[in-house]
Amino acid sequence: MNIIEIENLSHYFADGTCGLENINLTIEEGTFVVIAGQNGSGKTTLLKHLNGLLLPTTGTVRLAGVPVSENLVKARQMVGMVFQDPDSQIVGETVCDDVAFGPENLCLDRSEVKRRVYRTLKVVGLLDFEDQKPHLLSGGEKRRLAIAGILAMEPKVLVFDEPFSSLDYPGVKQVLKQIISLHRSGHTILAAAHDLEKVIAHADRLVIMKDGKVVKDETPSQLLGELEAFGIREPCASRLGMEVQSWLN
Amino acid sequence: MAELSAFNFRPGSSVLHGLDVRFKLIFLVLISFTSLKAYTVALSVLTLVLVAALMHSGLSLKSILKTFRYVSVLLAFIFIARALSTPGSVVAEFKAISITREGIYYGAMICWRLVIVILTGLSFVLTTRPSEIKAAVEWTLNPFPFIPAKRIATMMSLMVRFLPVIIDQAKETADAQRARGIENRKNPVYRLGKLGIPLMRRTFERADKLAVAMEARCYSENRTDPVLSSGIMDWIALCGVVCLCLVIISA
Repeated sequence: MNIIEIENLSHYFADGTCGLENINLTIEEGTFVVIAGQNGSGKTTLLKHLNGLLLPTTGTVRLAGVPVSENLVKARQMVGMVFQDPDSQIVGETVCDDVAFGPENLCLDRSEVKRRVYRTLKVVGLLDFEDQKPHLLSGGEKRRLAIAGILAMEPKVLVFDEPFSSLDYPGVKQVLKQIISLHRSGHTILAAAHDLEKVIAHADRLVIMKDGKVVKDETPSQLLGELEAFGIREPCASRLGMEVQSWLN
Repeated sequence: MAELSAFNFRPGSSVLHGLDVRFKLIFLVLISFTSLKAYTVALSVLTLVLVAALMHSGLSLKSILKTFRYVSVLLAFIFIARALSTPGSVVAEFKAISITREGIYYGAMICWRLVIVILTGLSFVLTTRPSEIKAAVEWTLNPFPFIPAKRIATMMSLMVRFLPVIIDQAKETADAQRARGIENRKNPVYRLGKLGIPLMRRTFERADKLAVAMEARCYSENRTDPVLSSGIMDWIALCGVVCLCLVIISA
């Protein structure tokens, strides 16, 4: 079943700049899709259409058959977005408060909010930090907290915008492990990245964007050799003619 | 930012931790106002009670004293101003400046009262979750018809959340400018402008991103209400604090 259907999507910003041009894309439930492209290629703009943070100038985006613009709250609950800078996403004064922010916005019962907070903190391994101030967490922990804040809303689709930016090696491994475990638990994953090295070994599908258009959409193995033509670095292993390995191995 | 962490919530199981935030808010107001009417004996009693409460809540005496490092300059300034400006019997004199016995006494009293207010605030913040403080603010403002209680409570909690981030950013910007030799420029207005403008730009950019992130998490003012509940311990504590305050005022 297609959980996301994008038809003839174009987006023009207020100053007339073209952000996206005639995007057609369908994403099957449970797949792991990597959207790659240079800075400014339209990756973030595309992702923001999936939960209605941006609305199309022309075209439609459907989630499980329902247009996003018909019910924005439902779309935002269904598609959880983890932003590039977790510091701008974390709103709670403590780890626990931040995770509770989403469920509280959904007007859930206090007992249900509490249940979701503890369940998601357990899932991301931050249960021992519940009373910690978010700004005192490490980069990897902050990113995991941002994921927990989204997971507490029980979305079906998880969208990651540059999930590994400014993370050290242990941080990358923590976040990658989390993403893979979420994918295994049945979530549909979309990750936007300009550096494919860390994530490509786990992706089912690779979408390449350039100047607001989708220029390639294949399995990763089919596209690895063509990446550099689109300003994306080919993973080291692939350059050396070897199979691309997971960063977790 | 670690240096500001003494004024933060610390999880625990003390009596103060267990009290309802609304009662603690009332205690904060009552004790602060009562301290204005208190003198040496009453202030000593209040100090002992508050220090004991803080230590029972898990803060060491050393940490309490450390907290006062930040306000000692303000206290010293108030003390000196009072000592120099109150008329009375002169203790020391230098040209037109004279320090009076009454000035020293009243200066010390004012500083001591301020210390009581700070200790009360510290015991409140130390034993109350930020979300509970937010809930108490919302509860206090709810009866006023034209005040958007939820919005104010959210703004307050965002301010608490982002103040350390802004301070960190200011420090980072200042460090980056020092690395490029800003210290060679002696004009403070120039230096303030060079620090303030990028800092404000970054703060506004962050606020913009925050608004989008909140929207992505379905933010609205119609949210799950906080749960506040009081018990017998809260009423016993209220009786105790009211009695203490009445004794101090009538003494």
